[in-house]
Amino acid sequence: MPGEPLKKQDTPKLLAQVEEDIWVIIPAYNEENIIGDVLKELFSRGLKLVIIDDGSTDRTYEIARAIVKDNPGRGYLYHHPINRGLGATLKTGIEACLAKGADIMVTFDADGQHNPDDILPVSQPIIEGQADVVIGVRDFDDMPRVKKISNQLMNIITWIFYGAHVQDSQSGLRAFNRKAAIALDVVSREYGISSEIIREIKHKELRMEEVPIETIYTEYALAKGTNLKVGIKILVKMIRDVFK
Amino acid sequence: MAMMLYQYIGLVIGIVGIVYTFMRFRENKMSLGMLFLWNIVWIVLIVLSIFPEATVYFANLTGIGRGLDVILILGLIGCYYLIFRIYNMIENIEQEITHIAREIALQRENADLDEKEDEED
Repeated sequence: MPGEPLKKQDTPKLLAQVEEDIWVIIPAYNEENIIGDVLKELFSRGLKLVIIDDGSTDRTYEIARAIVKDNPGRGYLYHHPINRGLGATLKTGIEACLAKGADIMVTFDADGQHNPDDILPVSQPIIEGQADVVIGVRDFDDMPRVKKISNQLMNIITWIFYGAHVQDSQSGLRAFNRKAAIALDVVSREYGISSEIIREIKHKELRMEEVPIETIYTEYALAKGTNLKVGIKILVKMIRDVFK
Repeated sequence: MAMMLYQYIGLVIGIVGIVYTFMRFRENKMSLGMLFLWNIVWIVLIVLSIFPEATVYFANLTGIGRGLDVILILGLIGCYYLIFRIYNMIENIEQEITHIAREIALQRENADLDEKEDEED
């Protein structure tokens, strides 16, 4: 699909052409309130889904299972028997995609904070062969103040410890090609995975692009994700990595 | 010279420690290396309980003022070392658990998709 950039309004038409190739990885932990809507919306766009339930203690798995069953051949559901964190969950998803022969993988949060319309723009540089990894960049000005500050802080920390400066190191919406997915060598089990991916992009000299994305801030989504406590844990982990 | 109360306590703890360590070893719950390490700790405790004046020798040797201070400092260093070991062990176990959890998940792809119809939303 060379040439002109893809616009959001073109999405449904163009998606029909590349739908076969895009695999969406959805890590989910205790998202019973919203995962049903997220999965139905993504399936309705003809995407292939790899859903990983990270040992949820609510009905996330049952809900996902019912929806996957309604979309035979397009959904693959995995279930960590115990909660192992976002990092481990993404790794399971990537491994599953690679086993299925996926060439384009997109990670997509299950909490409803991403706009499905952003999947194609984020995949576009990969489809066109111009990047190995694409990071969806959230608009920090849209964020509540605490989120904005903590995300800026995480960017600075990622920059100091991993030497990579990106606009949004903690974004959950990213796209990888097969080469990048294989190259990623990450060990973080928790939210530190996001910064580790940035480090790997730099270390493995992968071509990266940053694409602006929309974020839907519901009260539900705000209560999750990277908060101060998680931020401190990531920082401690990074300091340890430096001394390894 | 009559023994002070703390000397008896140190002696008893040391003996109980040795007995307990050997029991753990016999039940295969402790490696040979750890058996060795712990018994040295207990034996040092027993020796110092019986001959507390020996600590003065170490105090002079290391330049730390009093005998008791040497013991406390060594004890603290020993504790930190053990915490470090335990921390690393836990980290390894966590990684192994994660590996197993991910393997199980990948092997059970779309498992029980046809079961438990009643749980559909």
